[in-house]
Amino acid sequence: MLLSNLEVLPEQTIVRHLGLVQGSSVRSKHVGRDLGAMFKNLVGGELKGYTELLQDSREEATERLIAQASSLGADAVLNVRYSTSSIASGAAEIFVYGTAVTLAPR
Amino acid sequence: MPPYRSAAEQGDRTVDYENRQPAEGINVTAGHPLRRFAVLVGAAALLVVVLVVITRFAGGAAARLVPFSVEQRVMRSLDIPFGDAPLDDPVRVYLDELAQRLVPSLGLPADMSVIVHYDSADTFNAFATLGGNLLFYRGLLERMPDENALAMVMAHEIAHVLHRDPAAGLGGGVASALVLAAVTGSVGTGAATDGLSRTGLLTSVQFTRRMERQADRVASAALAERYGHLHGAATLFEVIQAQRLPSRRPVWLERFTATHPLDADRIRAIEAHAQELGVPLDGPATPLPAEVVAALRAAAPAAEPD
Amino acid sequence: MYQIYLFVALLVVGYGFGQLAERRHLKSLIEREKVANALPAIASRFPATDRAYDQQLVSGSVVIASDYFKTFVSGLINLFGGRVTPFESLIDRARREALLRMKADAQRRGAGYVFNVKYETSRIGAGRVPAMEVLAYGTALVPGTAGRDLPGEAVHASADADAAVPVSG
Repeated sequence: MLLSNLEVLPEQTIVRHLGLVQGSSVRSKHVGRDLGAMFKNLVGGELKGYTELLQDSREEATERLIAQASSLGADAVLNVRYSTSSIASGAAEIFVYGTAVTLAPR
Repeated sequence: MPPYRSAAEQGDRTVDYENRQPAEGINVTAGHPLRRFAVLVGAAALLVVVLVVITRFAGGAAARLVPFSVEQRVMRSLDIPFGDAPLDDPVRVYLDELAQRLVPSLGLPADMSVIVHYDSADTFNAFATLGGNLLFYRGLLERMPDENALAMVMAHEIAHVLHRDPAAGLGGGVASALVLAAVTGSVGTGAATDGLSRTGLLTSVQFTRRMERQADRVASAALAERYGHLHGAATLFEVIQAQRLPSRRPVWLERFTATHPLDADRIRAIEAHAQELGVPLDGPATPLPAEVVAALRAAAPAAEPD
Repeated sequence: MYQIYLFVALLVVGYGFGQLAERRHLKSLIEREKVANALPAIASRFPATDRAYDQQLVSGSVVIASDYFKTFVSGLINLFGGRVTPFESLIDRARREALLRMKADAQRRGAGYVFNVKYETSRIGAGRVPAMEVLAYGTALVPGTAGRDLPGEAVHASADADAAVPVSG
């Protein structure tokens, strides 16, 4: 599955736009990461625990996007956009959406 | 840059736009919510219990390592006024003398001592706190039928000092409270924090009950040695039981949630211990000195609707 | 003791009514989506230029609250980490509902397509009861005279009186 945040793909022809597809992942931190973050509040710097958490979350959201696109029979997802929002204290949602398209064979 | 050609203009075919329905359930996780709920509640309760047990043990052990002399020094410098009676009050003097009589039977080491205080308030209570300080309230003393029951109370409190229970309770309590606060803090507000705190509390009272049971054992052994029988021990808990308001909660719940063992359970423990020590459960009661009884009655307010 | 009874009662009520509302809403969503798929909405920015269209900004939004059971479970998940499963279904429903309301807005104007669809998600509500607001907006292309932009027509379709579907929970 090809993912792109371009409108069109150079050198390729879009046959059909199949509609919106989305992937979302809501993840929560655990106590260990939280305590680590509290210590980092003193010294500053990157919160590696949270970076990893959101990275995992982003990967899962992208996988779900691809799964939705596959279920439509699409070849690519264009105009991919990511968004992050805070759900509850300690939980964040990564949301990715785009347009699923079929491409003409080269 | 070449001019943009819309999708419709690409090649010689019209691009179609449509909305197909993607498969259901991709963005949700399969699995029954109640199952997740049960697993989470079980795991959370287990986590809290394990953390509280570890911190109570560790905190208590660390506190017991602090020498008793340090405890005494700190309490002396704090100079907290326990009780409202002067040093030469006849009741206080009698209590002090009773304590000194019981100390040899309790095996209190030479570098540990107790300081006895008396308060004329109506409260039905007595307690041991840091630095070997004991406080007895008139409300408890005037309901003691004889010296044996009072000796049981005294021996029980001195046993707490002997075991360093006040220090261990403080150390373990503070340590477990800190850890519990850190854990429940990350859960956010609401019912989940409440539930976790209660679980922590239920685990903590196991420790206080154990301390009480051990103090009872040491005290009744001292009483057996001193008086040759356990008359005072059993009657004490009967008096306490009579003082309590009947609880509407089921017995098994009370047994699990209370800070002290149930009165009935304590009486049964005394009976079993009497058999173990080979002393009779009953015996001749030593009366309280007349002047002490008179002093207690004199201090009581005029209208006592007992 | 009463506190424990109350707590269990709230959990049961939250779970029961929450699951019921969720299932009804999901069924309604699937039915309406079948109809709404006739109006294509996509994320691409450059619209079809095969004929003359009027552009209009359309949007749809919804606020869905969590129930007692979901809030409690998500609180415990904060201890151990991992996927917050109660909220996954909540947000998915909210987004689909918002998109359907946006399409309804576009349909009312007689649009043929909706382009450049974007979503905004935010958390609403004071502290204890989490509620999610999802806004879906895009540009509707209404077949009409060439390139005329209708001013000030961005009417916000939030409380869709026509739809009358249960979304609480």
